[in-house]
Amino acid sequence: MPESSDHTPPPPRRPSGWNSRSVGTRFQHGSFYLLIRLGGKPLAYVLLAFVVLWYVCYPSTRRKCSHYLRRRFPHRQGFWARFVDSYRLVFSLGQLLIDRAALGIVGPAAMRVTFPDGPRLLEILAAGKGLVMIGSHVGCWQTALAAFEHVPTGVNLVIHRAEGDVDLHYFEHQGQVPPFRIIDPLKEFLGGVLSMLEVLRRGEILGLMGDRVFGGDRHQIAVEFLGEPALFPLSPYVLASSAGSPIVVLFSHRIGRDAYTLELAKVIQVPEGISRDTAALRPYVREFAQALEDYVDRHPWQFMNFFDMWDTSPLNDLTPKEMVDRHEG
Amino acid sequence: MKDKLKQIIIDGLNLEDLTPADINDDAPLFGEGLGLDSLDAVELVILVQKHFGVAIKDMNEGQKAFQSINTLAAYIAEQQKA
Repeated sequence: MPESSDHTPPPPRRPSGWNSRSVGTRFQHGSFYLLIRLGGKPLAYVLLAFVVLWYVCYPSTRRKCSHYLRRRFPHRQGFWARFVDSYRLVFSLGQLLIDRAALGIVGPAAMRVTFPDGPRLLEILAAGKGLVMIGSHVGCWQTALAAFEHVPTGVNLVIHRAEGDVDLHYFEHQGQVPPFRIIDPLKEFLGGVLSMLEVLRRGEILGLMGDRVFGGDRHQIAVEFLGEPALFPLSPYVLASSAGSPIVVLFSHRIGRDAYTLELAKVIQVPEGISRDTAALRPYVREFAQALEDYVDRHPWQFMNFFDMWDTSPLNDLTPKEMVDRHEG
Repeated sequence: MKDKLKQIIIDGLNLEDLTPADINDDAPLFGEGLGLDSLDAVELVILVQKHFGVAIKDMNEGQKAFQSINTLAAYIAEQQKA
């Protein structure tokens, strides 16, 4: 999370020049939206096949894919294997974005979302301690939110939209009010942590991404993921420990052309009172990383984090004591 | 109250190199100044509740209170009176 003295946090440091802006221009996104309106998703998928081929021809696109692909498929390192795998991964991303747009344009009827563990989530929520819901850049979390319509408490999501981001959230297609409250860590005081703590104390749901760090390098930790140390944010675990809230790991998964399922992959109980102790938090971050690894083992083409989370160089700026705490091993 | 608050911050946030005398009452708590960060703020909310029985209920209150030792002490005193 960002740190700031004037309440205007600096942009997150990204050593690789990575940013979360949309791929493609406003016109290109608009073309897909138009095709969905005219011919439904199949027509949009046809255009997608060609657009993805165009993008994958750029080395920069394949480079973004390679962070994940070379660790998930270490034996497929040749140019053509990497080209084909990059195509498949980017095509999957395109499908998810089209599904998300269709949900907004056509409405809930466009998608069937199942959540077999829904009653378990309600049970955990009923304890009144709030709930930290950690997701990841897998599947399409926005479509999965349809499964939260009947949750009796508020749902708050930590989301930052980068400047220049042109793809619309599904509720924006018809000018709807978001069905959840958005906490923007780069716009709120102290990275929004006070708002986050507040919603947990009210017994509400706080949703964060477990595989993306916003801003400050002190708030991340390296744990093993797909065979190498990768950076994960500490904030969800600190918040859970401070508020005494359970963590629920939820992943969405595309199971068909018009169908998603939401899986409750793990419940993590971080003890209260260990929020200052990074070494004590490590096993809980590992639990999340393991759950994510299990997911990508089963659904390798639905991992959509194109950021190099295995670049642990940001930890080099820490003090020796912090480095020991935050490095794996 | 301010000295107690400073000692609680030093102990609670493991600022081992500091003494209460090193902390300026008007210096910003976050960023420049004491150098606390956003996750320290989470801990500070908990510490204030635990030691003073004062809950910082929302972001607006927190933003007002978390400027400096002076503003935080004033906020705690005000809430304890109410």
